[in-house]
Amino acid sequence: MASTAEHPSMVLIARKDLKMSAGKLAVQCSHAAVTCTVNARKTHARLVERWMNGGARKICLRADDLGTLQRLAGQAQSAGLVTTLVKDAGHTEVPPGTITVLGIGPAPRRAIDALVSDLKPY
Amino acid sequence: MGLRSFFHRLTAPPVIGQSPNGPCKMVCVVNHGLKMGKGKIAAQVGHGAVMATMKAGSLKPLFVEQWLATGQKKVCLKGADADHLLALEQLAKDAGILTTLVHDAGHTQIPSGSLTVLALGPETDDLLERITGELKLL
Repeated sequence: MASTAEHPSMVLIARKDLKMSAGKLAVQCSHAAVTCTVNARKTHARLVERWMNGGARKICLRADDLGTLQRLAGQAQSAGLVTTLVKDAGHTEVPPGTITVLGIGPAPRRAIDALVSDLKPY
Repeated sequence: MGLRSFFHRLTAPPVIGQSPNGPCKMVCVVNHGLKMGKGKIAAQVGHGAVMATMKAGSLKPLFVEQWLATGQKKVCLKGADADHLLALEQLAKDAGILTTLVHDAGHTQIPSGSLTVLALGPETDDLLERITGELKLL
């Protein structure tokens, strides 16, 4: 059995500047989590299984603005990680089409830490 | 995947479940009695949503398919405490709704094993409305 540090992880990076309510934030983050999981199962089935068995670790971080989110998405994609940008339908709180959350993973802890180690928890 | 399950997948008849008769959504009821931060709540609801999706994926695949194809509508509601969540779970189960309880590993903020979220669905709007219609938005 690998140690906890070896379990894959998922990060959900939300935009702080949108000032979403707790419920809105939770819903947007779970959109990202579900989409990432569904997509990752097609391409990284073993990784998803290990991630689930290891407690499906998820961490919610905050980014200052859209630019940061897009930069991180680009970096994660070039690192070959599963990424999802959540675009809100805009029924509530934010205008339609607003990008709210970036989901990365499940991916090895090290690969994720390398990208987001300077972000703070939300 | 093992050889046996591989062959099973090839030869098993396709899953023909019940199909939804209306738009579907997922409802996550958060235990508001716990003092969780916004990010913590988001991660817990994420756990619930992923677990519920996986569960429904094998038990009610047509519901999940429709739900994913129509923008995976989710609603986040407030529950008073753990007992409230458990009572709602029972009501939902009796109505034939798939339920998922999230217990936190307790690495941060709250005691280990706390019941944080009840995820319901994906299920038709009408049916969920009957169980959770009275609850407030988070």
